[in-house]
Parts: sequence; structure tokens; C-alpha cells
Amino acid sequence: MTDDDEDRRLLARIAERDRLAFETFFRALGPNIHRFVRELVRDDGLAEELTSDVMVEVWRGAGKYGGRSRVRTWVFGIAHHKAIDALRRRRATTVPLDDLLATPSHDEGPEDAALRDAERVRLDGALAALSAEHRAVLELTYLEGFSQAEVAAIASCPVATVKTRAFYAKQRLRDALAPAEEPR
Amino acid sequence: MKHEIADLLPFYLNGTLDAAERARVETELATCVACSAELREHELLAAALRARADAVAPPSAAGLERALARIDTPPPMVRAVAPPRAPWYAVPARYASAAVLVVGFGAVAAAAWRAREGPVGPQPQPAGVYSVAPTVMESTVKMLPQTKIKINTIKEPTPAAAAAPTTVERQQRLAKRAELEIVVTSVEPALHRTQEIARAADGAVTALTDARPATPGALPGADLTIVVPAQRLDETLDRLARLGTVRNRSVTAEDVADTIVDEEARLANLRHEERDLRALMDKGGKVDEILAVQQNLSDVRGQIEQSEAQHALDLHRVATSTIALSLIEERPNPPAAKPGPTARIDGAWNNGLSALADTLVTLVSALAFVLAYAPLPLAVAGLTYAIFRVVLRRLQAARQA
Repeated sequence: MTDDDEDRRLLARIAERDRLAFETFFRALGPNIHRFVRELVRDDGLAEELTSDVMVEVWRGAGKYGGRSRVRTWVFGIAHHKAIDALRRRRATTVPLDDLLATPSHDEGPEDAALRDAERVRLDGALAALSAEHRAVLELTYLEGFSQAEVAAIASCPVATVKTRAFYAKQRLRDALAPAEEPR
Repeated sequence: MKHEIADLLPFYLNGTLDAAERARVETELATCVACSAELREHELLAAALRARADAVAPPSAAGLERALARIDTPPPMVRAVAPPRAPWYAVPARYASAAVLVVGFGAVAAAAWRAREGPVGPQPQPAGVYSVAPTVMESTVKMLPQTKIKINTIKEPTPAAAAAPTTVERQQRLAKRAELEIVVTSVEPALHRTQEIARAADGAVTALTDARPATPGALPGADLTIVVPAQRLDETLDRLARLGTVRNRSVTAEDVADTIVDEEARLANLRHEERDLRALMDKGGKVDEILAVQQNLSDVRGQIEQSEAQHALDLHRVATSTIALSLIEERPNPPAAKPGPTARIDGAWNNGLSALADTLVTLVSALAFVLAYAPLPLAVAGLTYAIFRVVLRRLQAARQA
């Protein structure tokens, strides 16, 4: 995989304390890691902090990366671990969904926004009702394109559990998606 | 309803199934309507998630800046400024020292007991020469006239320990600090000379306060801090002493042998632990296990760096000595200016006047003194006169009679 070769090259340079390589790595993987942990913790501030944490961990641990898995799997494993850990630490606190929706912070045409808002609110609500572990499987599978084995490695659970979680999450989200589809 | 391949559909969709699984899914999809409907749902979900993800703002640049700032200042080095000391029970060397003490006392007691029963060879003289060798596996106490006590602190020599043997004589682990106060005729040249002396001893003047007071009456001087290699402390002090008159010279030495031995033991143990953890990491395992090991490893690494920094600092304290030097400018008595003739006459006149005034004052004082005591001798004189008159009158009366 060429992407992974590139990641490995960067990681090797990071292990040699190459700051530029670290920056490149951050720019390449940072947005994905950020999106992933944000979906898990559902808190913008915490997500930024965690992304930073994950990348610093990459900097410190670059020399220890064994190369048994893809670099991305390794990094997402760190991210998953940190996000779930952060959630455990502030289990009592729930972030209102409005916080996420109130800050679209993305340039989007008004007509697009109007059209998508209803659908997104429904999907958001349905996703929020899922556990972080289920959301993690969805993100890793549908957005990051990891294989069953890789998702299992990242979430540190058996492959069978990954399949169950993916199926269950889809079932739960189906209701949120179906009505949104009809007007189209 | 759930068919056998239903679980595989998300991964069929993201193209990560292996050939066999893909073939199975495709065969099933070709014939099963329910499975095709299921796949359609997955596609919808994937599209919805992607659309939603696109709307997510990327992390702000501040995140990268923060991460860069954090990698620029590794925490272990920051913590090294004031490292927490390990509690006494966490330092293996202390157990070893305790064991040696117990064994030593026991041996001395046994020898004394035997000596009471009869002379058995030379009497043991326990001397406090400690020697720490990383390769020594057991504690040995040889009861010879020059007793050497070997402390077992490190199970296995580390590469670093082998490169720099840690065997030290206890006496050599002294962090010395000297104070020197010298009265010099002039501070300025003495400062230059001090710098030369420091340089000649491979040392340096690290701090200089030139105290040139504004008030003319006060003493001008300079305070310096000089750092020299420990073995050259005495010769440097001697050379500095020749700058002028030494008013105060003192050397204090702090014994940091125990601290250094503890640090070395701790470092060796930490390195050992690090090697074990690395070996564990290389074996692989689940991601959470690897992460746990990784966390441990990074903790251990942090502790190692911290200990190394403290160790280097203590070794530096032993290897170098600090001299606090105070230079004080000698204030020569102002030479008596030779006065001119007028001034001399003036002086003589003034001296004469002053002498006269002194004499007068003395006379007046004496008079005042006498006056103060006058009533007493007058009373005595009056009394004597009265007695004399009475006696005289009686004698005359007797003669007439």
C-alpha cells in the first residue's frame, strides 16, 4: 500500500526527531484522527486536545512502532484508546447535541445547509444514542475504510464483535435514515 | 432478518474483504433480495456518514502548534529540574546498605566474642571504605585490617555502567565549596589576575559582582564565583590567596556518595525494566496490551531521563568545586601631608592655645574640687582652733593660780 509506505517513511523520520516529518504527518492524519475522536467524545475542545495528545504520543512512540500493522491502524489504535479513556474519565458529563450542531464552522452554501440540516439532525440524534464503541466501528469502517481485522485491532476487541457492532449500529441508524431518503 | 453474509456487507462495501469472502458475498447478493436491500441500507448509511463528515471542520492550526510546542519541550527534562526523590524504601541500594551494616555488625560482634575466648589472628578493624561494583552479585565482608565492604546494588552490568565503571572510593564523592576573603591593594588588577588563575585551572568565573560603592568612605570590593575542576581546588585556592592578605578561608564538603550510589542503582534498575518492556513490546499482542506496555515504557523512559539528569548534576557537583571569592580593597591610611610654615605656626599657636585652655580648665576643675570639699577641712580647722584656745586658756589660768 503506497499510502502506508509513505506513512512508514514519515514515521521513521519522526523516530529520528524530524520535526518537519512530524508536521507533515500531523497535517496528513490529523484531520482524520480529529474527526474520529470528535465523533467518539462529541466535544470539539476535547477532540482537539486528544488529537494533539495522539500526535505527541506518535512523536514519542515512533521509535517503538513495530511495523506489524499499518501505521494508520497503529495511530487510530492510540486515538481510540485515548478517546475511550477520556470518555471514561468524564462519564458523568454528557455534551448536549446542540453544542455540536451549533458550531457548523464549515463553509457551506445556504441551500445545501437548509437541505441537509434536517437529515443531519436526525442522523446526529441517532448517532448520539449509540455508544462510543459503536460509533467508533462506524467511523472506522465507513469513513476510514479499515478491514474487520484492523477495526478489531484498533478497538481491541474480537473480529466477531466488530461485525456485530457494525450490524447493530446500522440497524439503529436505519430508522433515522429512511425518512430522510424519501423526499429525494 | 439476518443472513450469514450480512455482517460482511460493511466491509464488502469498503473493499477490505479477502477474495474468498468477497466471492461468498457476491454469490449471495446475486440471489438474495433481502441481502441486496441490506447492502442498499449500508450504502445509504455510508453516504450519510460521509456527507456529515465532510461538514466537520478540520482541527484548528492551534492543535498542531500545541503539539509542536509539546514535542519541543519533552516533559522528562522539565521535570528534571526538581525531580521527586524516591522514597527510601524504593531505593534498592539502601536495602543493600542495611544488609551490609547488619552483616558487618554481626561479624564484628562475632570477632569480639571470639577475641574474648582467645586470640584468633589479627583484630578486625572495620574501616568505612565502600566500593560499588555493578558486577558484584553478592555482599562480601572481608574482615581484614583494611576492610572493604562490597555492596551488591546492581544485578547486571548495563552497557553504560560497563563503559563508565561506577566503582568509587567513598572519599572521592565530595561536593566541595570554598569561601575565600582576600584583602587586596586594588580590586581591578586582582579581578584580572583571578580570571587568569581560573582559566589556568581549566575553570571559569561564573558570576561577578563588582561592588564599587557610591559612598566614598565604604570599602570597594568584588564578589566572584569561580568554578574549577575538583582536583584543582586546593592549588587554585593557594594561588588566589597570593592575591593579597587572606582574611577568611574555608572549605566545606558535602558527601554525596550515598546519593550517587542510589542514583546509579536506580538507573540500572530502570534500564533493566526498560529492556524487559521493550522485549515485551516486540512480542506483540493486542493493541490495548501494546498500548499499556507503551505507556509503561514511556513512564520508565521519563524516569530514566530524569534520573540521568539528576545523576549528571550530582556527578558535576563532585567533579567541580565552587569558590566564592570576596575581594576587598585595602584602605591605606592617608599619608600625613607635610604642612607649610604658616600652617605650622598656626598649628603651634592653636596647639598652645589649646594647651592653655586645657591647663585653665584643669586648674578651674581643681579649684572647683577643692571648693566642693572646703567645708570639711574648715570645720576641722575651726574645731582644732577652739580646742587649742580652750586648752591655752586653762593653762594660763593654772599658771596664774
